[in-house]
Amino acid sequence: MATTSLSVARPGIVLSARARRFWRQGGIELALVTLVLLAAWATISVTIPRPDRYLPSPLSVVLSSGDLLWKGILPNYVGQTLWRLVLGSLIGLALGIPFGILVGLNRHVSETFYPVLNFFQSISGIALLPILMIWWGTTEKTVFGVIVYTCFFPIAFTVLTGVRSTPLIYMNALRTLGASRLRIVRDVLVPGAMPSIATGARLSIGYAWRAAIAGEMLAGRRGLGWMIFSAQQVDQTAQVILGMVLIGFLWILLDRYVLRPIESDTIQRWGLVQR
Amino acid sequence: MNRARRRQILLGAIPFLTLGTIWQMNAVYGWLAPIHIPPPMAVWGAIFTLQDSCAGLVDALQQSPGCLFTSHILSSLGRVGLSLVVGLPLGVAFGVLAGMHRRLANALEPVGVFANAISGIAWVPLAIVWFGVGWLTTLFILLNTVFWLVFFNTLLGVRGVPRVYENGVRTLGGKRREVITQVYIPGALPSIVTGIRMSMGFGWRALIAAEMIGGDRGLGFMLFVSAQEYKTEEVFLGVLVIAVIWMLTDRACLVPLERWTIERWGLVWRPT
Repeated sequence: MATTSLSVARPGIVLSARARRFWRQGGIELALVTLVLLAAWATISVTIPRPDRYLPSPLSVVLSSGDLLWKGILPNYVGQTLWRLVLGSLIGLALGIPFGILVGLNRHVSETFYPVLNFFQSISGIALLPILMIWWGTTEKTVFGVIVYTCFFPIAFTVLTGVRSTPLIYMNALRTLGASRLRIVRDVLVPGAMPSIATGARLSIGYAWRAAIAGEMLAGRRGLGWMIFSAQQVDQTAQVILGMVLIGFLWILLDRYVLRPIESDTIQRWGLVQR
Repeated sequence: MNRARRRQILLGAIPFLTLGTIWQMNAVYGWLAPIHIPPPMAVWGAIFTLQDSCAGLVDALQQSPGCLFTSHILSSLGRVGLSLVVGLPLGVAFGVLAGMHRRLANALEPVGVFANAISGIAWVPLAIVWFGVGWLTTLFILLNTVFWLVFFNTLLGVRGVPRVYENGVRTLGGKRREVITQVYIPGALPSIVTGIRMSMGFGWRALIAAEMIGGDRGLGFMLFVSAQEYKTEEVFLGVLVIAVIWMLTDRACLVPLERWTIERWGLVWRPT
């Protein structure tokens, strides 16, 4: 995703002003485009034969969501997927960040581990799913394994690069003042790695989200991914589209209102802009 | 090769050698069953099992059923090539068109954000409904991922080109076509190339996943079928090939391309 809004300051604006600004900055266009797309979708679904199989109308998608809400399935599935994502990526981050920092501390160690981390980063977790399924079957462990794996390597790799790219000047400055090794790690290397920790966390949670969906589909664990996969098998295309829209919206909400603010705040607080 | 580079290679080889040794020791001492961790030689041998009745190079290139290993690789790579040839020009063209109009760009940006948020694996069930299980479904997933990422990055790139350049060319009597070819596309190139690299990264992962769920050939399909038949050595082989192909593409083509583009076309100076 784009990183253009990284440098945008986030002052506390009152809501009405923010709403007005949103409206001025493309809110009208957004509403128009949404309407046009919905109209096009509805028109196509009216004209094609068997719309309930190939492209159900927006209305029937909304109705199917009402049906699922009524039965309590939808909140359950959304909750399960989010739970997996949160727990899996927390474990992945909790393992990956210290690993990246520890490996990054020493130049020889980091040069040793750089290629192997790069290698495992390029094996996507989804490709590993068949192996995990042979090991653990279609259990919860398999899905968590994939999420943790997908999370671990990008974050460890990014943190390692972040620690290594801390300017030497800062370390030398502390050393000249007689700081101990522990002090340098605590006051220079870890804060210096903070921006890359935040960026890496956002990146790896993005990968983990896709891995969670794919893992649910292939391992058959209840959740949003499983919902769209099983709905397709029983010809409930309305539920498939509902699931896709939910997946999209959930990710945008998570990215816009949780991950990106954390990332930009971290960069503002700890970002090293050398002039 | 200078000393620093040689040292890097030597140090970097240590973890791989260690892992390889442990892997081989596992095969010798039998700590974990071969069905869970197959011996390295079995993984190597799986190539020849898969290529069992392959007549020769021509046969392999024709993707005949006798050469399963090369057929799956060529099939996956062919789709990646096709999606680049089709998706890239389309994404750039629509991205430039949309990026030129500020209002249109503002309107289409959320569409791009949304399309990218559900791109890839989430489209697989719907694609299966539309195209059935097979080649077309996986191509659709890949194209969908490539197009939206390239489109979105081109849009952002074109929109980010400072007005000054456009006005400069206009003042000197440049036509609309010249503004596009001389200002917008070069100005957006770094962003476009980043989009290509991202789309290949996400696209390759999405393709493998799509082949597993809704494909009938390709590396992902090979992984899935081998896993169902508990041929773990073929699964390991597939995973290694997927990783090596991606590393080669990324390190040897995409990263140098991106670096060169940013050096050559990147707009360092920005009017304030």
